Amino acid sequence: MKKYNTPLIDDLEKGPWPSFVTEMKKAAKNNEMANDALGHLEKCYSTKVGYWKHGGIVGVLGYGGGVIGRYSELGEEFPGVAHFHTVRLNQPSGFFYTSKALKEICDIWDKYGSGLTNMHGSTGDVVLLGCRTESLEAVFAEYSSRGWDLGSSGSALRTPSCCVGPARCEWANYDTLGLNYALTQEFQDEMHRPSFSYKFKFKLSGCACDCVASLARSDMSIIGTWKGNIVIDQAEVKNYAKNGMDINAEIVNMCPTQCISYDGKEMKIDNAECNRCMHCIAKMTKALKPSGEKGATICIGSKAPIVVGSLLSWVIVPFIKLEPPYTELKDLIRKIWDWWDENAKPRERIGEVIEMKGMRSFLEYIGVPPMPQQIKEPRKDPFMFYTEDDIASFKTKEAEEKKTGKYKF
Amino acid sequence: METAELQDKIFAFVQAAQGKKKLKEKDIINGMNAETGIDKDVVKKAMRGMIDVGRLMYSYGGGASSVEIPSEEYLREKGLIK
Amino acid sequence: MALPQRKTDIGPPNFEQFLPPVIKKNYGKWKYHEVLTPGTMVHVAESGDKLWTVRVASPRLIATDTIREHCDIAEKYCDGHLRYTTRNNVEFLVSDESKLEPLKKDLTARGFKMGGIGYGISNIVHTQGWVHCHSAATDASGLVKSMMDELYEYFESKRLPNKLRLAVACCVNMCGAVHCSDIAIVAVHTKIPTIAHANFKNMCELPTVIGSCPTRAISPDTAQKSVKINPEKCMFCGNCFTVCPPMSIKDPERDGIAIVVGGKVSTLRTNPKFSKLVIPYISNEPPRWPKVVAAVKHIVEVYAANARKHERVGEWIERVGWERFFSLTGIDFTFHSIDDFTFMRDTLRTSPAFKW
Ligand code: HEM
Ligand code: HEM
Ligand code: HEM
Ligand code: HEM
Ligand code: SF4
Ligand code: SF4
Ligand code: SF4
Ligand code: SF4
Repeated sequence: MKKYNTPLIDDLEKGPWPSFVTEMKKAAKNNEMANDALGHLEKCYSTKVGYWKHGGIVGVLGYGGGVIGRYSELGEEFPGVAHFHTVRLNQPSGFFYTSKALKEICDIWDKYGSGLTNMHGSTGDVVLLGCRTESLEAVFAEYSSRGWDLGSSGSALRTPSCCVGPARCEWANYDTLGLNYALTQEFQDEMHRPSFSYKFKFKLSGCACDCVASLARSDMSIIGTWKGNIVIDQAEVKNYAKNGMDINAEIVNMCPTQCISYDGKEMKIDNAECNRCMHCIAKMTKALKPSGEKGATICIGSKAPIVVGSLLSWVIVPFIKLEPPYTELKDLIRKIWDWWDENAKPRERIGEVIEMKGMRSFLEYIGVPPMPQQIKEPRKDPFMFYTEDDIASFKTKEAEEKKTGKYKF
Repeated sequence: METAELQDKIFAFVQAAQGKKKLKEKDIINGMNAETGIDKDVVKKAMRGMIDVGRLMYSYGGGASSVEIPSEEYLREKGLIK
Repeated sequence: MALPQRKTDIGPPNFEQFLPPVIKKNYGKWKYHEVLTPGTMVHVAESGDKLWTVRVASPRLIATDTIREHCDIAEKYCDGHLRYTTRNNVEFLVSDESKLEPLKKDLTARGFKMGGIGYGISNIVHTQGWVHCHSAATDASGLVKSMMDELYEYFESKRLPNKLRLAVACCVNMCGAVHCSDIAIVAVHTKIPTIAHANFKNMCELPTVIGSCPTRAISPDTAQKSVKINPEKCMFCGNCFTVCPPMSIKDPERDGIAIVVGGKVSTLRTNPKFSKLVIPYISNEPPRWPKVVAAVKHIVEVYAANARKHERVGEWIERVGWERFFSLTGIDFTFHSIDDFTFMRDTLRTSPAFKW
């Protein structure tokens, strides 16, 4: 095996934080591809440019995603990275594993690939980095026969992912892992055979802490919430105070709706005014607990800046109950995709299409009424459309008022 | 129409666009539906059948996925021709 | 050797088979948790059962042998159960308290680093960079390593007013959620693409290329059967390169790094926020990017010294005002921080009430 001199990246083996260079060297000990990847990376560090080409048409028969094609411009100098495709393996919900399952993944990968991985890619998938085109069918056969399918890429439903939720978090308002699994299974076709205008992502968080950043990076953000009161355990409140928490400064004054009061003995919450931001609960988890109906808020549209600026997801459905078999949610998703499919130009994410066509068109199609929970504030300009139906309904309402003698605004 | 005949038509449709326009699944389904009046789900199924055996393939470029006629190189790699 | 029969559309394995028994038993019935140290926490169920979590740093890019070592540790102390986190740490799940201290000792002996829980700095979310992406203006893994080495004490022990989320994106596509982080690094291109006209007609679709440009800087060049770019309008987003490889935008001396701050995704106290541009350009200096690292550390320290308890970076800045952020950090305010793109209307000041 060729020995590369790698002084620049060697420097990244120093210091307390675990080093990816050490990892690459570990893999390079008995893997030619990983070894060439090291030399290749050193070259990037010395010239300050990358040498990866724009991918290529690679994949497994019948699927349109799950493999990211990658070739180097320097294939002759570094033959081990001439082909260096990524295989995306669909992760289990919540990234839980047994050692047996993980070792099986490793053994197959060592046989066919570079021995390098990302645990995990930012999409959520197990990312297996670096494999040749002619190995792809074998890799797929080995994994799929043992119960592991590919994740997604391209203009398709991307691999859904979720927070740790009810498996190890007291704040989960719905079963994020269960719903994640159910959606992934329900939409296998949409994941593996790209039929959309562009990518579409689901990310599932069990509460407003949003540990998977769904609000910032998924076309459909499903964020857990509740409708009842916050139950207070006054004895635990006392304990927090005794242990040094300044409840007035840290909790009462930081509540965004100013709905908490505390007289040094007892804590009170005006639940009707709470906007469920999670601050007090997250800081006093032993003392405070949501109660009542549990479910989620559905938000749509977030994306990174390309092309005309980033978006955060917008609230569409303020509250939905989420219980197996999740029929209402699945129907809603299909309607959303129908509308998107009908209206999107190539490479338009759903948030961009909503901006172009208007929220009204979108909401009417999917059958969601307008609600003040969907907006931060009403529009500021008077340039709005009135349909004949709108006017007719205003007139009907007024006729009704004339009859009852009572205004209804 | 027989599935085989429909698949030949789909193939001709994709061939006609080759080098001119990258077709998405939807373009093919809508195009065939307009040309032959055949139900979109039927077209989709026939097209998927072709992709499963390598007569057509999914491709990716320009930031989006498309459906194309596979190259000889691809077919050889998949062991579909020698 | 014959290959096994492939199966399609089976989806991922059902997660339930991977859950430790204590989780299966107490699924959805956790009562509270306590952070014991920056590297350990305990979750207590309504049933009284307890689950200890030990969180360990990972560079995300790891060799199969390292995963095997994770497995060996899990077998020894956790009946083979482990998980990874959204920010790419490893978590060992212990249901038998007597195994907790031996696990920690073993981890230390093997050189694993524990931390990242609570009010400090956890692992940095990042993208592929030179390790694997065609679009990269810098390397993500190297930047992460350099920053975490310098900020390591905030991972392992030292505490901050709240959590501080860091992210690195190796080009403005910003794969991942860097645009809503407390502090994020975004690699930028700064020169208009060069066009290899001879390759254009073979590799690119004219309407797609023209349509790809958010500022309409691209127009047809009929003589060369290619396109031309209006340099007054191009803001180097690289979107045309994405749809047309001959329009190369990489330039080793001009590619650089920008720093954005003050984003968050949770709704705790205040609404989710985008991160905002404060440092428009620092030269790309592998392998250690010293100026980038120093800038990030400086911002962390100013935040630590000035924010109130529980305030995230963006909340602190909104309380004191952006003009105060610039004066406290001493960062030069430049034209680049004034939005002249899609968010101008929302970001300019419309009142004469501000601080000096
Ligand atoms: C035109 C815009 C974009 C381009 C050209 C682009 C390109 C890429 C490429 C080439 C990769 C694969 C890197 C590799 O493994 O080689 C990638 C990964 C990824 N992309 Fe993008 N991307 C774009 C926009 C976005 C946006 C808007 C998002 C999210 C909102 C996003 C999220 C991701 C994620 C999460 C990954 C996985 C990253 C990782 O795990 O390292 N991308 N992108
Ligand atoms: C088509 C657009 C507009 C028309 C036709 C319009 C017309 C008028 C008229 C006729 C007056 C009353 C003048 C008077 O007799 O004292 C007025 C006053 C005023 N307009 Fe406008 N205006 C328009 C847009 C705006 C806009 C966009 C603004 C602010 C952003 C604005 C701000 C004001 C203010 C502040 C006054 C003074 C009100 C007062 O004295 O109490 N106008 N405008
Ligand atoms: C056909 C168009 C418009 C007409 C006829 C119009 C008319 C007027 C009139 C008559 C006034 C009151 C002047 C006064 O104080 O005596 C006024 C004030 C004003 N208009 Fe307009 N306006 C028009 C469009 C606009 C637009 C488009 C804007 C801004 C976007 C605007 C912004 C203002 C402002 C800021 C004032 C001053 C308010 C103040 O004194 O506090 N106007 N306009
Ligand atoms: C010519 C323009 C090219 C564009 C626009 C482009 C852009 C991209 C983008 C946008 C991604 C990430 C996609 C995403 O995350 O949504 C990516 C990764 C990838 N590139 Fe390229 N690249 C180009 C050249 C190519 C070519 C010519 C191919 C193959 C024909 C290709 C194959 C891929 C593949 C398979 C991926 C992974 C798919 C994915 O994750 O979406 N690329 N490239
Ligand atoms: S998003 Fe909420 S429910 Fe999910 S893990 Fe985070 S805090 Fe727990
Ligand atoms: S959840 Fe938020 S809004 Fe509701 S009481 Fe607690 S701090 Fe106040
Ligand atoms: S941020 Fe840019 S360079 Fe980095 S992985 Fe995404 S597309 Fe590639
Ligand atoms: S880099 Fe961006 S702004 Fe410049 S020409 Fe290309 S698409 Fe347009």
